[in-house]
Amino acid sequence: MYDAPQLGNAMDQTTTKISARNVQVHYGDTHAIKDVNVDIDAKTVTAFIGPSGCGKSTFLRCINRMNDTIDICRVTGDILIDGEDIYDKRVDPVQLRAKVGMVFQKPNPFPKSIYDNVAYGPRIHGLAKNKSELDEIVEKSLRRGAIWDEVKDRLDAPGTGLSGGQQQRLCIARAVATEPEVLLMDEPCSALDPIATAQVEELIDELRSQFSVVIVTHSMQQAARVSQKTAFFHLGNLVEFGDTTQIFTNPQDERTQNYITGRIG
Amino acid sequence: MTDVTPTTSILTVDDRTRRRNVAEKRFRTYGVIAITLAMLALVGLMTSIFSGGLPAFKQTFITLDVYLDPAKLDKDGSSDLEKIRKVSTFGYAPLIKKALEEQLAKPELAVEGLKSKDAAKMISKEGAAEMRRFVLANPDMIGETVSFKFLASGRIDGYYKGRVTMQSAERDKNVSPQQLQFADKLKDAGLLKTSFNWGFLTRADASENRPEAAGLGVAILGSVYMMVIVLFLALPIGVAASIYLEEFAPKNWFTDLVEVNISNLAAVPSIVFGILGLAIFINFAGLPQSAPIVGGLVLTLMTLPTIIIATRASLKAVPPSIRDAALGVGASKMQAVFHHVLPLAAPGILTGTIIGLAQALGETAPLLLIGMVAFVREYPSAPPEGFFDPAAALPVQVYNWTQRADPAFVERASGAIIVLLVFLLLMNTIAIILRRRFERRW
Amino acid sequence: MSDQHIVSAFDRDLEGIQAHVMKMGGLVEAAIVDASQSLLNQDEELSAEVIRRDQAIDDLDTLINEECANLIALRAPAALDLRMVLSVMKISGNLERIGDYAKNMAKRNTVLVQLTPIEGARGALQRMAREVQLMLKDVLDAFIERDVEKAQDVLLRDRDVDQMYNALFREFLTFMMEDPRHITPCMHLHFIAKNTERMGDHVTSIAEQTIYLVSGSMPEDNRPKATRYEPE
Repeated sequence: MYDAPQLGNAMDQTTTKISARNVQVHYGDTHAIKDVNVDIDAKTVTAFIGPSGCGKSTFLRCINRMNDTIDICRVTGDILIDGEDIYDKRVDPVQLRAKVGMVFQKPNPFPKSIYDNVAYGPRIHGLAKNKSELDEIVEKSLRRGAIWDEVKDRLDAPGTGLSGGQQQRLCIARAVATEPEVLLMDEPCSALDPIATAQVEELIDELRSQFSVVIVTHSMQQAARVSQKTAFFHLGNLVEFGDTTQIFTNPQDERTQNYITGRIG
Repeated sequence: MTDVTPTTSILTVDDRTRRRNVAEKRFRTYGVIAITLAMLALVGLMTSIFSGGLPAFKQTFITLDVYLDPAKLDKDGSSDLEKIRKVSTFGYAPLIKKALEEQLAKPELAVEGLKSKDAAKMISKEGAAEMRRFVLANPDMIGETVSFKFLASGRIDGYYKGRVTMQSAERDKNVSPQQLQFADKLKDAGLLKTSFNWGFLTRADASENRPEAAGLGVAILGSVYMMVIVLFLALPIGVAASIYLEEFAPKNWFTDLVEVNISNLAAVPSIVFGILGLAIFINFAGLPQSAPIVGGLVLTLMTLPTIIIATRASLKAVPPSIRDAALGVGASKMQAVFHHVLPLAAPGILTGTIIGLAQALGETAPLLLIGMVAFVREYPSAPPEGFFDPAAALPVQVYNWTQRADPAFVERASGAIIVLLVFLLLMNTIAIILRRRFERRW
Repeated sequence: MSDQHIVSAFDRDLEGIQAHVMKMGGLVEAAIVDASQSLLNQDEELSAEVIRRDQAIDDLDTLINEECANLIALRAPAALDLRMVLSVMKISGNLERIGDYAKNMAKRNTVLVQLTPIEGARGALQRMAREVQLMLKDVLDAFIERDVEKAQDVLLRDRDVDQMYNALFREFLTFMMEDPRHITPCMHLHFIAKNTERMGDHVTSIAEQTIYLVSGSMPEDNRPKATRYEPE
């Protein structure tokens, strides 16, 4: 079992954004996440890797309480964002999700116009006082999503009419429109071709300057390309967490080694 | 495993493949036969209904100039409406008889052996009633000669639709060959005409011995009232129930039970709903019999399961990724449902609703039990009071007419079926258009 | 840790590359032995043989580099596999250099046979070459067996080779001071000694690669060096 570094380590240069302590997740009788401790740094891309069913997506969805929508899911332990427990009774998950944005595996734009897709979040959270402010937010978000130049002439066109890669960048733009502090990505490139994947990866690298990005991926190469920190999950355990370069050249745990070199574990 | 030997060529078809191909062809043939049978049945049904029912939309009229004799209608010449009102329909019959006598007196129209009493029978009994209504509406016309377009009696009408012939008239005590001859002469003189029967769509039902005056007006109005009630009750209740069950309700034994019961409710025979309506709405709640409100409530109960099942299916068909997307940007569950899921499910919900309505429109059995089979001459008033007035319904009217002895009513029943089919077709078309219009790809 | 990849062709590729490295190691060992033997026996024919056989070593080096490039491009090795490929490429380079030094020794021998023989030097050189050859054998064993201790042992033995070189260096200096006619053969012999010492360094490099391969980090550079006279 991997032990997270203690909080308040004087040697830490970066600040900790999210810290999980003894997180356990049960789906009915299934123990999906077993005692996970991890500190995720601010303005860093952290990748979660691991075989299917290892709990990495489950853990990701704990960070913005998307698991709340599943009746049989129980989460125990603490997940702190900026030192505040997100599973505290006083926390409204809706408010939390504005702060912790999420991008999903399949590009899922609303079947509305590109403009409305991005404007939806700011609208329901009341981030814009008037139309021109909203226009500004939409443009800024689309620029951050690196898709502004491609769609600026057709903001009224349906978001579902874009190509897969464009749709995913639109979804990222939609996620950043609510000014989140953390951006969760659940296999954002699994449905994309290599060029679109590269564009999204480039975008993730740019987003790092403003957000803490946590990305779940099945592609180890992708984890290696985009992340600074990598966590390896196996059978619900966080097996190893460390610098991406270290994980990919010299993993300490045999299970990590077996997984990333493609050996029979 | 089969070994691939290099000697087999794909250019020759082996036995196995041939048998497989033959089996496939056979199956396709079965399919074509099945579809042909179904189409034949449909065509047969349509032909019988249309051939029997289309004449109901035509009606024979006899135009007569009638002298509104003040001696009969306004005996003391006071022009007092109250007194004129006292003259019953029977008081008008002699005027018609007299007008016919004048026609019979004309040499070119004279028919040997036809008494004016019999000639008067060629005009529908409704004719006198119409005249009375006209006079009451225009009392100052008394003393004038007015041209009236009377309904011909059912037998004369049947003569021009091929239902009555000279031979059958000889055996019929209601019509004589002389009457038919006179009718032919009237036709030659341009006084007897066959034209489109608007009355069929607008008139109320009529009694046994005057089929020519029977119309669907009250039945159509009653059916429309009921559909309005069903739409405004079943749609919101059904959609709300489905949304709650599908999106909000916890999954436990209780919601499972509710689900099973809703599915079972859809399979309950409709007559059972009629018994329920009779027991609860009429006997217990004391709502009036034969009223659209009771029929509407019963049909609402019947339609609810259909709407709930269709709505849940279309809600389920909305990809969960859309819900995730909405929740992911911080929408509440209700916002996610109402902003994103419901608009996507709307075409399916509307289609389900319209299909449910169409089903309700054609439903007869429960309406029989709540007394909508009654003979209703009066139009219900405008809603909402009209919902509590007695009315008929289209399918019940069909049932009613097929019970009557006069063959003219059979024709009208078929005509009513055509009207019903047109309504159903219209609703299905709307359903298809709505689906096409709102269907979106995601 | 399992040895088997899910994709068995990956295993076959890695084994193939290692087999080529071992084959190359065998050829290089033979070159060292034969070159020093030809020096000892003043055997010009054997020298010519050594020079000719160097081509095979160079070809193997090219082959291994190509195979490694293919493996990186096609299989994207990570962690242990990545370190394995990286170290094999370096080891192959080291072996190729050692082979070149052996060839150089043989070439100088063909010149030396026509010059005044220097007493005792040939025997000392042959012992030095022998030591290097044994180190090479051990380090290749350590590599194939993933044996860190053995590799570390080889690392330490390089000091002996350095000391032998320093002793020879002083000896040649004395010879040259005694008689200027000794300068030419002594210079050649000195180069041979220096090259043999360099062979030892390449062998230690292979030992370091082996340690990196197994442990994931390079050994700390605490190897005792006798470099008093090295002009580095």
